[in-house]
Amino acid sequence: MAAVDTAESSRGSEVGGVCQHHAQQTICASRARYREGRRPRAVKVYTVNLESRYLLIQGVPALGVMKELIELFALYGTIEEYNPLDGYPAEEFTEVYLIKFLKIQSARIAKRKLDERSFFGSLLHVCYAPEFESVQETRDKLRDRRKYIAKATNAKEQSLETKQDSSVHSSKIMQLDRGSWTSETAISKWNPATYTQDFGQSCCTLSLKHVISPSEQHYQNMLAAPHYTGDCATTSTCFSQRTRMDQRPQQRVHNTLSCWNLERKVPSDEGLGRFMPRTTQLQERKRRRDEDNKLALLGRETNKEIIIGPRLPEIPKIDMDDHSLNTSANLIRNRLKKIAVPVQTSNSPEELSVKNQTKQVIKQRRRI
Amino acid sequence: MSQNQKELLGLGRLEYLQALVTEFQVTESSEAKEQVLANLANFAYDPRNYEYLRQLKVLDLFLDMLTEDNETLVEFALGGLCNLCLDKINKDYILEAGGVAAVVNCLASANEETVLSAVTSLMYLTTPQSCQEITTLPVIECMLRFSLSTNRRLRNLATIFLEDYCSPLQVDKARTLTRHTAVGIPLPKDEGSTAGSLDDLP
Repeated sequence: MAAVDTAESSRGSEVGGVCQHHAQQTICASRARYREGRRPRAVKVYTVNLESRYLLIQGVPALGVMKELIELFALYGTIEEYNPLDGYPAEEFTEVYLIKFLKIQSARIAKRKLDERSFFGSLLHVCYAPEFESVQETRDKLRDRRKYIAKATNAKEQSLETKQDSSVHSSKIMQLDRGSWTSETAISKWNPATYTQDFGQSCCTLSLKHVISPSEQHYQNMLAAPHYTGDCATTSTCFSQRTRMDQRPQQRVHNTLSCWNLERKVPSDEGLGRFMPRTTQLQERKRRRDEDNKLALLGRETNKEIIIGPRLPEIPKIDMDDHSLNTSANLIRNRLKKIAVPVQTSNSPEELSVKNQTKQVIKQRRRI
Repeated sequence: MSQNQKELLGLGRLEYLQALVTEFQVTESSEAKEQVLANLANFAYDPRNYEYLRQLKVLDLFLDMLTEDNETLVEFALGGLCNLCLDKINKDYILEAGGVAAVVNCLASANEETVLSAVTSLMYLTTPQSCQEITTLPVIECMLRFSLSTNRRLRNLATIFLEDYCSPLQVDKARTLTRHTAVGIPLPKDEGSTAGSLDDLP
């Protein structure tokens, strides 16, 4: 495990020569307890410059085990090239190999899994070997990192946007953002090496188009938009579940105002809800429902209806935890009453579950 | 140690990073400082941490460390910057805070990793607005010299810088200027003022 000291002297030597970063550094033993990792490690900062598709494997016992070694590394991804480095300074009775993976991610995993691994009675020392890269390979590596960051940060931005302002404001904000995106495109025009942000951009412009596209389609598109981003997948599914049952009537009524409200409120609502334990949420909902039922009954009293005997199976008033939601739900209920026959024939599972709830609620309400 | 990991998870990412920053500011031990800075710089590799790092002003911390005397601190801080400077918000912040000059100064470092991080950071910090500030004559001259280095990593990066981030005209201009000076003169400590130092040559 001792560091290869010879590396110190020959920094910046010929291609394939020993580089300083290959010398195994001494393990840091003085870390504060909360900073200790699973495995003891040296103090080192990894950047895009340090990682590579090329891995240098030191400490392979000179027993003619190349086949086994390559098989072991091939477990972590496709190997593009491999060869023993005969001229490379090695400890006695050991060999040094160079392996080039097809993908950098394979190299990352292989390094993590196989460094310090015992192999035919000797400990392997695996490290990145970026000095074997050609100019083009380095360029690709830098570009891939750029692409990755653009994708990761754009996705985050986008999910934030859809959460915050899928309301009428969105068009304005989007336009602003669009300005910044076009400035990015300006970079890519200006510099061929940076055209890689395209993916994220096209993703964004796609959703932009959705927003801009007029009429009832945009309602559905807004629904679809969050699906691009993994982050708010949960939000969007709850979201579409709830709204789907309203969709058909909505399309006809086309009450844009309420539909906007619906969109704006639901995600934030769900977002908060995620931090509440499920049981609490259920209890809270039940409490509200009961309260609501009481209120509904009270309201009925003024209608001279005396509460004796089972109530007729009306469409129940489920509290959606939100004023605007309730308003739109009411709209939908009224609409459903009018067009009861055709809609009820095409029951969606959501509607069925709603009905089940109805029955339960009715049972609760039954008084004798 | 698994206990330790659980504690880490219980702490939450933001709190953990906050603990690191606090230790960095409080500690007297330079060893601990280096370790914590390395930790933060490695956290800066993952875009998921960017929001937290911005909240905790780690970008300022990195930028401050670039002028330290301790070579290791400079290396780690620049590594951290190199890791997070591709993000648009971070990039704008660094440019706004005068990060280019600080990074250019690091090109004169004797530490290989520092120089490599500096070259990559400069490439990643380039925008239509900042390119004038980055591709100055002294920097291009410096890259020309690096592109002849025997260190292949440095040579590759410098070549990419010259080919992709500078116009051929700029490179030619720098080349003709270099021809009049002796090759191989080490960069002055203050890279920012090299334009003037050309006159100082014998």
